[in-house]
Amino acid sequence: MAQTYTATKSTYVPVAGDFELLTNRDIETDKNFASQSYWKGVAISFLRNRRAMVGLVLVLGIILLAILGPMVSPYNYDQIIRDPANEQVVAKGIAPVGTNEGPFAGMLFIFGTDDLGRDLWTRTWQGARVSLIIAFVTIFIDMILGMSYGLISGYFGGRVDNVMQRVVEIANSVPRLVIVSVLAIFLPKGMGLVIVALLLTEWIGMSKIARAEMLKMKQQEYVLASRTLGAKSMHIIFKQILPNTIGPIITQMMFSIPTAIFTEAFLSFVGVGIVLPQCSIGSLIESGFNNITTLPYQILSPIIVLALQMLGFNFIGDGFREALAPKLEDM
Amino acid sequence: MSNLTRRSFLGAAGTAAMFLAACGGSGDSGNGGSGTAAGNSISVMLYTNVMSLDTDLATDGDSFEVIADCIDGLTQMDADGAAKEALAKKIEVSDDNLTYTFTLRDATWSNGDPVTADDFVFAWRRICKNAGEYAYMMSDIGQIKGAAAIINGEEEDETTLAVTAKDDKTLVVELEVPVPFFESLMYFPTFYPINQKFYEGLDDGTYGTSPATFLSNGAYLLSDYTPGTASLSLVKNPDYWDADSVALEGINYQVVGSSDNALTAFKSNALDVAMISGNQVAAVEDDADLADKLTVTGAGYMWYLTFSQTKNNAQGGMLANQNLRLAISNAIDREALVDNYVMDGSLATYTAVPPQFAASATTGEDFSADQQKFADVIGYDVDRAQKFFEDAKKELKKDSFEFTMIYGNNEGDEVAKVAQAIKEQVEGNLSGITLKLQPMTKAERLDKMQNDNYDVALTRWGPDYADPMTYLGMWITDNDNNYGFWSNKEYDAIIADCVTGKYISDYDARWNAMYDAETLVMEEAVIAPLYTKANANLINSRVTGIEFHPVALNRVYKNTTVSE
Amino acid sequence: MGKYILKRVGLALVTLFLIIFILFVLVRIMPGNPFPSERMSAEQIANKRAEMGLDDPILVQFGRYFINLLQGDFGKGTSLYYGAPINTVLSTCIYNSFRIGGIAILEGTAIGLLLGITAALNKGKFLDSFCTVFSILGVCVPGYVFLIFLQYFFAYKIPFFPYFFDPNRFLFSSVLPSLSLSLFTMSTVARFTRNEMVEVMDSDYVRLAESKGMTGGLLVRKHVLRNALIPIVTVLAPLIVDLLTGALVVEKIYGINGIGKLMVDAIAGEGVDYNYVLALGILYSALYIGIMLVVDVLYGVLDPRIRIATVRGANREER
Repeated sequence: MAQTYTATKSTYVPVAGDFELLTNRDIETDKNFASQSYWKGVAISFLRNRRAMVGLVLVLGIILLAILGPMVSPYNYDQIIRDPANEQVVAKGIAPVGTNEGPFAGMLFIFGTDDLGRDLWTRTWQGARVSLIIAFVTIFIDMILGMSYGLISGYFGGRVDNVMQRVVEIANSVPRLVIVSVLAIFLPKGMGLVIVALLLTEWIGMSKIARAEMLKMKQQEYVLASRTLGAKSMHIIFKQILPNTIGPIITQMMFSIPTAIFTEAFLSFVGVGIVLPQCSIGSLIESGFNNITTLPYQILSPIIVLALQMLGFNFIGDGFREALAPKLEDM
Repeated sequence: MSNLTRRSFLGAAGTAAMFLAACGGSGDSGNGGSGTAAGNSISVMLYTNVMSLDTDLATDGDSFEVIADCIDGLTQMDADGAAKEALAKKIEVSDDNLTYTFTLRDATWSNGDPVTADDFVFAWRRICKNAGEYAYMMSDIGQIKGAAAIINGEEEDETTLAVTAKDDKTLVVELEVPVPFFESLMYFPTFYPINQKFYEGLDDGTYGTSPATFLSNGAYLLSDYTPGTASLSLVKNPDYWDADSVALEGINYQVVGSSDNALTAFKSNALDVAMISGNQVAAVEDDADLADKLTVTGAGYMWYLTFSQTKNNAQGGMLANQNLRLAISNAIDREALVDNYVMDGSLATYTAVPPQFAASATTGEDFSADQQKFADVIGYDVDRAQKFFEDAKKELKKDSFEFTMIYGNNEGDEVAKVAQAIKEQVEGNLSGITLKLQPMTKAERLDKMQNDNYDVALTRWGPDYADPMTYLGMWITDNDNNYGFWSNKEYDAIIADCVTGKYISDYDARWNAMYDAETLVMEEAVIAPLYTKANANLINSRVTGIEFHPVALNRVYKNTTVSE
Repeated sequence: MGKYILKRVGLALVTLFLIIFILFVLVRIMPGNPFPSERMSAEQIANKRAEMGLDDPILVQFGRYFINLLQGDFGKGTSLYYGAPINTVLSTCIYNSFRIGGIAILEGTAIGLLLGITAALNKGKFLDSFCTVFSILGVCVPGYVFLIFLQYFFAYKIPFFPYFFDPNRFLFSSVLPSLSLSLFTMSTVARFTRNEMVEVMDSDYVRLAESKGMTGGLLVRKHVLRNALIPIVTVLAPLIVDLLTGALVVEKIYGINGIGKLMVDAIAGEGVDYNYVLALGILYSALYIGIMLVVDVLYGVLDPRIRIATVRGANREER
């Protein structure tokens, strides 16, 4: 925009209004004009979308429960509940919502208890914290790393694309268990390592989608027009093409979240995931799986929480998708 | 729970736990499931893949079991786990107990070749030369003359092994020192023969990788197998020397990786014999139909905690302090571990040598029958644990300790539960100790233990032969399995006397000396024994006569019958 | 196009070489031991390592390995099915995993497309909501949980299908595992198809085609689906590689001797088996690289305007 500088010798001090770059002004004006009504429209359309609101309530509800659930629970997530009369008797394997027999009669266990006698309600919400963190980290990785990588690779094409795609092939080809167990030598095991592990590969799917969309879009007339008008590459990529490819990108993002949540649990094969007695939705599903037909409720609650969380995310994603694509606005 | 499992724990010295057909509860067998045994054969669950059918390379119980189904050794296990003649029809022992002469019976390999003494010589030399996992059965355990040098690589010529074929049917074995249990070693697969001519006709590395590259001389023939397969099948060997006493037509093995799935498979008759773990045992006991099909047998191996006593670990060697180790050991409620978490009939263990696998040859008494022997140094006693802990704190001038406990995440359903329970008990009973858990693969756990890079480890040891020495031999100075790097001269001396020294020809004196050695281990809390594992088996009521053993071969089917 | 493919194949070989080298170094750093042992003395283990050549400089080891590899020899296992040459073990696993994975891909793609198209054509109606919820739940339930469910009802309660995999009745016993493996693919394909089709159906050229009187199946096939296929092909490609290379838990539960289980056994089994990890890593990379090449070629077929193979034009864009 306007620049001021002090002229030392000259008597005339240029001011902002002296020169105007015609091309710049045109684009600026266009953008400001468009963006105001565009984002306003998006917001209105999103808020009017009933499904998106249901999704928002679901996700906010789960976040709230993940924060409050373990706090309001009378038990700690790693507390083995014992019979005060006989310390050796633990409240293990009690089905929801409690039992009428024995020393634990009348006690409320909304999701039942696990193999060790810990309250699954508390553990599920404690685990939901981990899975929510993973979900948001995945969204972040997808949006920042995956999307930009794919868009840039697709847009520039040719040699750039060639090199960038070979990097993807290498990154995707080293088995995850191998790379993660090597990393575990240098990094402490736990949540940090899980995030590093996700960073290594979770962006690839998204980058492929973004690249495909870019390949499809970059030949379209409006892109060619922009380029002819002298718009910078980054401007075209992120301001012009991106909004038009947002549909598949959001869809892809939604599918990468559960994958990431299960990846965390899968890492436990090399002992890298969440360290017991901490838990995650993924690890709860895995330990529930050991008793799936004998104590089915143990796997049910984490799966239901995960499903609700994913329904919520997807509804929100759909809402955004429809709101961002002007063509669908009238639906 | 576990009244029933406790009652039916029949592991002692491999007592066969035979199930008497009570009622015809399984009329609808044969539902089309792939593993379903039809007619006179049975389908049996394996917990892991059969890794190898080569006696030189096999290291796991499942592989040994299948090898033993197909190949006979000089002796075989009877129902009580004692040795009885198999390929050897006569065994002569010299007066000094150093020379064994085996006279072979007429038996044939499945290609028609006769089984000769040379087949043993060839196989044993090969074991020594290749120096694999179980080569130590030839040297340290079997004490065969010349074995140790070949295994160490000091001796290049494997023909120096003192095992000779005097003629086709006479095998002579010379020992360094007398080994009281030598005859029962002969049923361990490491000592089985291999047909030399057949082996040498095969491509390198292909022996035992398919029915065509494997020869039987035992009760069953390999009919369907590829390495890594989840299902393999055996059929009866019509040319077996003792074929008349084999009733089964065949055995179908099915690898099942999950206890819960095994239970459903058993209920759907896809398995005749299944192994289940804790939670499924609890479900079975509540089910009248299934409860009487449950048989608990000793698995032999003992889980224990080992503590690194070197300066490299545990905050500069804190666990070298005996009182600290004793405090941890006494803060663990072993009964609660087995009753609440393992739940498959496993036994809480308070001795360094687990019960029910080694009985005295003279008195028949189990070495560790008395679990109260060391009651003044081990047991669940919070007050005593805290007293030990106070002493340790004074000696170490430190009030709080943080240790990491490593355990394997691929060693069974109950291990993670047990690790968490131990953490909870130790931290709850000894405030000042933090026990962080660190799961890893079994391979990594072993690696860390062998490289002295751990504080506390949850580990296990299974007996290879029915003698307390299989455990006690581990704690001598510089033994590779002495993961704590504990060293005690008095202990080393006792063990040396038992293995090669003055007690070697006096069975009872040796037996008592081993008690003295065990006392040292327990008083110094070199390890904290936890429990002796049991297997909870479900057996279809049409099947009888499977012999279970805690040592060497876990299941033997030679006398198994099926009623229609 | 032919020149482009040739160039890509050349590049693929270079990439594969790089991957093999990286893998080769990484597996040697991995924690764990190729000779896990509780009974061998330190001496014995040292001898074994020397025999395998593990004490040589890593480049020497790599050279030796690579030369063997060029002759099609993956070597022998060190801790897994030791004696058997890897080629023997691998061929059975590949056979099983490829066939079951192949069936799963067909099922997943076919049912997924069907669900997606149905949903898109009934946008906003019940069928659409059903498809949405199904595909979201489909990715939240792991395939192995679905398999247990199928096994419980269709092999135990109603004993129609075999309880375990039976190589002698391949197709019949592939039904349950392939269905459970395809669940994720099915959901992904359904969701992408639905969303893409809805978007394409709103686009100007479809409206134009509609206004010209084109309707029904022809419109869907000729314009809508074809334009929606690009993202579908993109998400499907890596899923195909994943399905072909097997799934650990499904294989373990159903007793299938497949690649997924072999990989985990090689890494997290008794020991770390260098040669198996390498062989499986190479297999996976080769598949992935190959399928990515097919996808790039397919883009051009689906939408002739897409030209990744640009030779001259690309140079201009690169600036």
